[in-house]
This record gives sequence, structure tokens and C-alpha cells, in this order.
Amino acid sequence: MPKEENILEVRRLTVIAGENALIKDINFSVRAGETVLVLGPNGAGKTTLFKALIGSLTHTGEIQWGEGIKIGYVPQKVDLERDLPITVKEFFKLKAGVKVDEETIKEALSDVKLDKAYASRGISELSSGELQRLLIAWAVLGHPQVLMFDEPTASVDIAGQDTIYEMLHTLQDSHNLTLIMISHDLSIVYRYATQVLCLNKTQICYGTPREVLTPAELSKLYGENHTFYHHMHSGNSHE
Amino acid sequence: MNELPLTYILIAGSFIAAAGGLLGSFALLRRMALVGDAMSHVALPGITLALIFHFDILLGSIVFLVLGSFFIWAVENKTKLPVDTVVGVFFTLSLALGALLATKEEIIDALFGNIVNLNLSDFWIAVLLSSVIVGIVIYFSRRFTLSFISADLARSVGENPALLELLFLLVFAIAVAVGIKLVGALLMGSVIIIPAATSRNIARSFNGYLLGSALFGVLGAVLSILISTSYNFSPGPVFILAEGFLFSISFFFRKK
Repeated sequence: MPKEENILEVRRLTVIAGENALIKDINFSVRAGETVLVLGPNGAGKTTLFKALIGSLTHTGEIQWGEGIKIGYVPQKVDLERDLPITVKEFFKLKAGVKVDEETIKEALSDVKLDKAYASRGISELSSGELQRLLIAWAVLGHPQVLMFDEPTASVDIAGQDTIYEMLHTLQDSHNLTLIMISHDLSIVYRYATQVLCLNKTQICYGTPREVLTPAELSKLYGENHTFYHHMHSGNSHE
Repeated sequence: MNELPLTYILIAGSFIAAAGGLLGSFALLRRMALVGDAMSHVALPGITLALIFHFDILLGSIVFLVLGSFFIWAVENKTKLPVDTVVGVFFTLSLALGALLATKEEIIDALFGNIVNLNLSDFWIAVLLSSVIVGIVIYFSRRFTLSFISADLARSVGENPALLELLFLLVFAIAVAVGIKLVGALLMGSVIIIPAATSRNIARSFNGYLLGSALFGVLGAVLSILISTSYNFSPGPVFILAEGFLFSISFFFRKK
């Protein structure tokens, strides 16, 4: 077993937009190899947290990544125009600091169960599920230690959900990844997460699923009537 | 005015159009077609001041355009104001200011350009600056592309999209200043946008898109200079019409 060490420490993290705090006073740390699931209702600040973590938003408090840690990031969505003329291969070549040759592309595609013929296809021709996989392949290109994955259910159909999580799980093993992901879906927590961060503007809980996902914490997070099932379906309707 | 041989005019026109077209591919990627067009108007007060106080037109336009770039960039990055509105107001004001300051004849050349009146130093400046623009755009091509497709992805690999954007706007400003000789301040936006839009209709890959944008620019420049010298038209408007013609043909080849 590799020595467990913190690869991310977050202290008193606050992001403010105008006069409102989007997230406030978030504290947690992540160890190598963990799977952290960020859980919370719509508008809870999950994506804001991710954007702060990749350095995309101004914030107060501390975000400390371990030395030499590279991050792969899969955003919630990439707003592509339908007629954008760029092939999968060209898209891979946009990744900074990674030498991308035929072999790398083949491997990257097979990592996410896409045929190598996809290399020459235009990315705007891909279905949303295929695009999601492409973004994952792009994110793990160049072997980052951390993969941050934002809200997979938003663009993947129900039948595809298991596949995406299984794929991430497999990738985590083969690439030795620490996984930080956002989801609405409580059912995957017990299957994959080692740590759960419950977020609703402020931090409601952080710990192992067994410790923190008590009925009391859940109703604090989602309200009494567990509306996360609703979110799961509304996420799917983006399809 | 010592007139240059046609070959020189064709070469200068082609360089300017290639740089403009290439830049346009990225301008469309960044969805700044209209902002870019409006920005070209900012050159006008610079041009008229240059005419009044007898300094070089290119210098006058570059100063105003560079200031304009910083202005757009600051509005986009430092304030929450909607860019389109601010740009729309501010840039039409510069157009009005320019129109008020200039005399009628000057204004026609400044607005619509006249590459046939090019002199030798203009020629070298056009060729040199266009080459610099092409060089910068190719060198930063990968980073511009990623940053304009998704600023978040760019940040996740350590790029600084805001700085890249400023660089792009500055290069854009220089391209507009150079292109004013060819088509004038009013039409320069189209030199940048139309060839790229044409190329985008037919390109299957990003490299093809870039190459196509430059080539359609050059084709339009050569056609329009030849037509306008033969029939004594003003080349600027002919260029735009030629580009518009190519654009409408490209529609038939548009990807499904």
C-alpha cells in the first residue's frame, strides 16, 4: 500500500459573488487514492467549489495542492457549437505539456471504451455520452494524479450511468487516481465513495459515507422530503 | 503619391487578408464576430487625428485600437457590465467623433480603404506586420483554441485565459490597423470574419479551418484588387462583395 498523504487541503474556503457567498467556510482534506463525492442539491455550490479548486475563481481561505500534483478536470459541460470543425485527435493535441501521438490517442480512447476510429471524427458529431467520455479521456491524458469530475448525470442517460461510474472506477485503479466527483445521486455513494462532502452553501458534513450519511444529516442537506431523486430526473432531461 | 506596381499591391493585399482570415478563425471561435467588427471603428478617431496633426495614419489607428483592446478586456474581466452594450455604445461614439473631425474625402478612404494608393513603406509595414500576426497566431494556436473552447479546461492545465484573451485582442487591434489600408475601418471587421465563416462552413478539421480561412482571405483579396484596378472601383467594397460571394457558395458545401 502506498503511504497515505494529503494531496489536497482546503481551509476556510469562501467564494463570494457580489454580496452573496456561493460557498462559505469549507474545510476538508483529501488523501491519495480516495474517492471523494461532493453531494448537495442544485445551487449548493458544488461546481463553484470545483472551479475554485482548479484556480478558476477568486476566493478567500486556502487551497493547497500537494507538490507536483497534476489535475485532470471534466467540466459539467463544454459549450460546443454544432459546426465547430475540430477532430477528436486535434482536441487531444490541445492538452498542454503532453506529447500526443497515435499510440497515446489509441490508449486514451480505449481507456474510455471508444473505438480508435473516433480519432478522426469531429467532436461536434459526438453524442453527449460520447463527448463525456472524450472529456474524461482528455482529462486523464498525461497522467494526472487527481481526476475531478463534475456532475456526470447531467448529460448521460440512465442506462449509461453505471457504465460511466464503472469506467471511472476502472480508470482510478489503472491510473492510480484520486477521484473527486460531484453527483446528485445518493445510490453511487455507498458503491464508490470513500469520503463524502455534503455541501449546501456551507459544509454540512465531511467523512466516510457510513459516518456522515445519517438520516438527520440528509434532511439537513436536502430538506425533509429528499428531493435529490427529483434532481436526478431533471438532470436527465438535459439530454 | 508614387504608385506601386500591381504585383506589390497584390502581395500586400494577400498578406493582410491571410493574417485577417487566420485571426478570424479564432475570433469566430471566441464568438466575437460583432465585437471585432465594432472594434474596427475605434481606429477612426485615431486616423482623423493623424490627418489633422500630420502624423502616420497607422500610428494613429494603432494607438486607439490598442486602447480599445484594453478597454474591452477590462470591461470583460474586471466589471460585470455586459460587453456588447458597452462596446456598442463606446465604439459608435468613436465612429461619430471620427466622422465629425475628418473632411469628406479623407473619411471615405479611412472608412472604405484604398490599397491602390499604397506607397513603398506602407507595403513593407503591411507585409511585416501581417507576418508577425500570422506568426503569433500560429505560435499560440493551441492555447488560443483551448482557451476559447473552454476557459475552465484551459485553467485546469495551467493556462491563463484572461492573459491569452488580452494578447488576442492586441493582435486583433494590430490586424485592424494594418487592414485599414486595404478595406478601411468600416469594413475591416468583415476581412476578419467572412473568410473564417466561409471556411467554417466546409472545414472538417481545425487545421483545415485555419488554412481555409487564410486562403479564402487571399483569394478574395486577389480577386478584388484585380477587379477594382481593371474597372476602377474602390477595392475595399469589392473585397467584401467577393468574400460575400465565396461565403454564399460555401453554403452549398455546408456540413450536415
